Amino acid sequence: MSKIIAVHSYKGGTGKTSISVNLAASFVKMGKKVCIFDLDFRAPSLFAILKTPNAEYWFNDYLNNTCEISQALVDLSSRIPGDGKFYACLANPATEAIRDMSSKDRKWEMRALGRLLALKEALLRDQKFDYLVFDTSPGLQYSSINAIVAADFVVVATTGDRSDVDGTKRMLAELYNLFEKKTGVVFNKVLDPSATAKRAEMQQKVKTDYHVPLLGMVPCFCEILRAEGNFIFVQDKPDHPFTKIMAETANKIANDEID
Amino acid sequence: MIRNELSSKKPLTILEKIEESLERLNDKMEVMIEIQRNNGNDSNPKNTPFLPDASLDVMTLLSMPDHLRKTAMTICRCGRATAEEISGQTTRARAVESAYLNQLVIMGYLKKQRKGRKAYFYVDRESQS
Repeated sequence: MSKIIAVHSYKGGTGKTSISVNLAASFVKMGKKVCIFDLDFRAPSLFAILKTPNAEYWFNDYLNNTCEISQALVDLSSRIPGDGKFYACLANPATEAIRDMSSKDRKWEMRALGRLLALKEALLRDQKFDYLVFDTSPGLQYSSINAIVAADFVVVATTGDRSDVDGTKRMLAELYNLFEKKTGVVFNKVLDPSATAKRAEMQQKVKTDYHVPLLGMVPCFCEILRAEGNFIFVQDKPDHPFTKIMAETANKIANDEID
Repeated sequence: MIRNELSSKKPLTILEKIEESLERLNDKMEVMIEIQRNNGNDSNPKNTPFLPDASLDVMTLLSMPDHLRKTAMTICRCGRATAEEISGQTTRARAVESAYLNQLVIMGYLKKQRKGRKAYFYVDRESQS
């Protein structure tokens, strides 16, 4: 069943964008039609990571109601050969655009929520997309809460950092639960996850601290840091353990194996 | 013959008007029952400022009492719906949803439009500029 997936976190630097791009790419490798959206309007990054050609329209323009969604999509299917289709809808990285998006009022945000909700009809129903992946900004900001409300499923990226754990707990109780969202956690940058005891401890920790299912546990891979966001990791390194973890996470979401 | 037609149509029209008035009365009573039920609670709309065209944004949704948030979230997703359609999604009784929807109308978050016997509720996103 087609879904909107929001990738969110309490703090910045938890690996949201890396997880969003590689989760989306994992779905494409499964033969799905996928679009990734940059909802981090204050610090756009997908434009640089995906090295897309200049878009005629940005996601900002769609939310500002100055273009249709089809005009803001960039076709990147050639990056991942196979039956899948890969599109991106990017946030405008220009300083003026960031300033404009930072000064929106509540009524604009309300209309933006309407435009996000309309993507279900325009893309999932009419253009037969399988997954829309929202890469959000961290914490409690309008754009990220709008994304969570519009999403069918929320992937929460978290690390072992104490402040991140506390904040994530609060967000689970006071944000995702209030909106009755299906949620799963990806534990990122885990040190020494190969030890069985460590893995069991982390699984237990997620269960008791967060009360939501653990989607995946991603070790702190130096190769990902070395890549510096220069390529789509799961496509360029098909045999890497990170690629397998992302494929497993995508499979769990696709098959609704989330208890 | 014309007299016969008129005499048969008139009572029907009157009955339809009575039915429509009763439905409006019923809606108002449901709202009053709901207000009374939540008396003393923070969710009491008497404590909430009623603003014409108040914006139903995500921060407003977050600050709403649980029972109203569920209805408001559902209407946000549907765009436009009757109390019956909302009740189909929330699995709460139609009368309950009708009361909550009317409460949201009074609070300025939703608009209500009657079409024949049906009352449609919607978030008026476009006119709020």
